[in-house]
Amino acid sequence: MSGKIIVITSGKGGVGKTTATASIGAALALEGKKVAVVDMDIGLRNLDVVMGLENRIVFNIVDIVNGRCKVKQAAIKDRRIDNLFLIPASQSDNKDALTPEGVVGVSEELKEEFDYTLMDCPAGIEQGFENSIAAADEAVVVCTPDVSAVRDADRVIGLLYARSITPKLIVNRIVPLMVERGDMLSHEDMVDVLSVELAGLVPMDDNVVVSTNTGVPLVLQKESKAGSAFRRIARRLNGQNDLPIVVPQSQDRFWKKIGSRLGIGR
Amino acid sequence: MLGGFFRKVAGKSSSRDVAKKRLKFTLIYDKLEVNDDVLNNLHRDIVEVISRYFEIDKDAFKMDIRRTEDRSALIVNTPILSSKRKT
Repeated sequence: MSGKIIVITSGKGGVGKTTATASIGAALALEGKKVAVVDMDIGLRNLDVVMGLENRIVFNIVDIVNGRCKVKQAAIKDRRIDNLFLIPASQSDNKDALTPEGVVGVSEELKEEFDYTLMDCPAGIEQGFENSIAAADEAVVVCTPDVSAVRDADRVIGLLYARSITPKLIVNRIVPLMVERGDMLSHEDMVDVLSVELAGLVPMDDNVVVSTNTGVPLVLQKESKAGSAFRRIARRLNGQNDLPIVVPQSQDRFWKKIGSRLGIGR
Repeated sequence: MLGGFFRKVAGKSSSRDVAKKRLKFTLIYDKLEVNDDVLNNLHRDIVEVISRYFEIDKDAFKMDIRRTEDRSALIVNTPILSSKRKT
């Protein structure tokens, strides 16, 4: 079988790439696909703690690329979700421990082993970015509704287009009340400015912090709105293109809608 | 929304609209920026092309990108010493 390599990137740091990678990876595995999530942030690994697998690391991606181990040996199996594997970053190596050529060299082995390989790209557009996109078939750009994140996303989208990769956009940390109040960019604003196709919309959700605290996958928390948003994104990436994009709504607006149905709204 | 209504009456735009407007301008400006390597290569190529037709003072050759509110212009200025006639 030949799988797909998808890079999750953003340009700006702290917009939720790692959470998105962990959640989409877990969700794709729940759809029955064999998935590897790869931490490409050499020297600053984090995907392992977000996924709660930090105590089980033996080999890492640098070991694979340098031929010190096989993909199968380095991939840590998640015990809660079948078919979900983590390939961690090396914490001790330098940023230049990987090269784009090295990553391309192991991409066939990854595609052979997994239906989906998600590359968790580090922030920035330097070496780590180059390594992460080198073997990518598809790209997802994560962006929050603020000016600095959108500007960086635009730059990254341009760089991806230059490599003939057409990225899709995830708008993360939407606060519907603020959008309605006119104090936050809406996803329409962002699509308009970036002219890019949407992969999905994720609301701000306290459960993300709880999930990161405990290392329990967000998508396993039934009541998490962000979790279900990521599950929909995963299904869309998995070929369910007709799945409609759900726009996060405030509780406030929900009750108003009910109210107006009953004839008591404004 | 009520807040939006008052803002409209007062003639103020929301911070969301301000953000969008600023972004649009910033992205346009970002794309107009050219790095030094590109500029140096362009400089070399233009001198080379013009030199095929004219004898120019290469040291006095000036090239500049000038930006105004809504457009950018490439301005090239060079003294011509003589034309090269084909014999």
